[in-house]
Amino acid sequence: MYSLYRLFVRQGGLITLIITQVISFYLITSQNSPQQEIAQRTWSWYANWALEWRNRLWDYLALRDENLRLKMENARLQAELANQRATDILRRDTIGHLHLSEQGKDAQKVSRPQYVFISGRVIGNTLSGRNNWLIINRGAKDGVRPNSGVISRTGVVGVVRQVSDHFALAMSVLHPQTKISAAVKGYNYYGLLFWGEDDPNYLTLSDIPYHLPIHRGDTVVVSNYSLLFPEGHPAGIVDTAYRIQGSSFLHIRVVPTQPPAGIREVYVVINRYAEELERLKQAMSKEQ
Amino acid sequence: MKGNWFFPNLWRLLSLLAIQGLILSGISYNTDGYVSILLYPLFILLLPILIPIPLAIVLGFLMGLLVDTFTGTIGLHASAGAFSAYARVLILERFAPQGGYTGKEPIAAPVYFGWQWFLSVAGVFFAVHLLWYFSVAYFAPAYFFSKILPQMLLSWLSTLPVVVVLVWLFNPRN
Repeated sequence: MYSLYRLFVRQGGLITLIITQVISFYLITSQNSPQQEIAQRTWSWYANWALEWRNRLWDYLALRDENLRLKMENARLQAELANQRATDILRRDTIGHLHLSEQGKDAQKVSRPQYVFISGRVIGNTLSGRNNWLIINRGAKDGVRPNSGVISRTGVVGVVRQVSDHFALAMSVLHPQTKISAAVKGYNYYGLLFWGEDDPNYLTLSDIPYHLPIHRGDTVVVSNYSLLFPEGHPAGIVDTAYRIQGSSFLHIRVVPTQPPAGIREVYVVINRYAEELERLKQAMSKEQ
Repeated sequence: MKGNWFFPNLWRLLSLLAIQGLILSGISYNTDGYVSILLYPLFILLLPILIPIPLAIVLGFLMGLLVDTFTGTIGLHASAGAFSAYARVLILERFAPQGGYTGKEPIAAPVYFGWQWFLSVAGVFFAVHLLWYFSVAYFAPAYFFSKILPQMLLSWLSTLPVVVVLVWLFNPRN
């Protein structure tokens, strides 16, 4: 209290001035309409400014969550796109047509969603060896299953082999066992896409008949027979294509659209019917 | 501060308030506010030199508030009065005679310090008061060059002669 008194003795003039000015400004802005209007506008301007900055700050702090949300949204949209491609085939199909026209509103029964996408990130990647592997930061607890395809936004990445609770180990496309059912866009012939060379910049597409006019620059996409990858997803661009001597097939060299180095954001593709189809395949081999 | 300082100041307060509120505010209205003769700050200027600063500020505030009740601009003159009462201290310090104020001269009048000194002090004091008054009246820095500064100069030019005439006529000593 005494120090307050001392302060007033020393700075009494200034304190009194501030007090009287505060009272005056209160009176001015409450009793005089022009000043009141100016004060209100100024206050609201500053309030808006502060609000905007607060929002910007919050947006910035929420970027991490926002990024995650966008990735999930992306996964959902990619899955929807892939499912849509699968559904379009059904719609074009004669049986599908009959089914649709008979059932009418029950068309949803025909368009079974086939894929679920899980977004993740590559946290380990080898390129140097003969057998190359990827580690993805999604595992069994996130719904990843062995024998699931891994794609990126621009191309194919690999196939999941081992799954732990939180991580998954995937064969890269640069692994001799990774074989993807693929086709050149626009032709109804499919072949196998695999790493057939030593150069990690090129893949090989085999089993495409030699009479097809394949040219440099044609797009290679996942075929509709693939169990692991969504059909129509881009896989590569044709680099060179030539006929193998004494064979009726082409040897097609493909530049992958997703370079094996520098993979970061990926989606694990869960095909809901993969096991069912696998069982049928095994039944087929028993029948033979 | 010695002896009879109370009644001369009270007399100045009442007479200046009457002139300001009844006559001069009418002129201000007739000229659309462009020529405002503000005489009441003379009361603040002629308060005892050695009056406690907070008291001077409160008196300036009250004087302004009384003028405001005449002109219907509650707070405007009060703000300017309190501010110029504070500014008065700084101005008087700046223009202090050698050795400072001793108390022999109770008020800042020309009879003690001479006309040249008084004109300098009153000129600066009224300029500060008018500048603050018009700033508060327009209440936005955007008006500074278009309204605040021109009106302040016009009002300063019309106020000072009246101040000089009044001080010359009444020649205040206390």
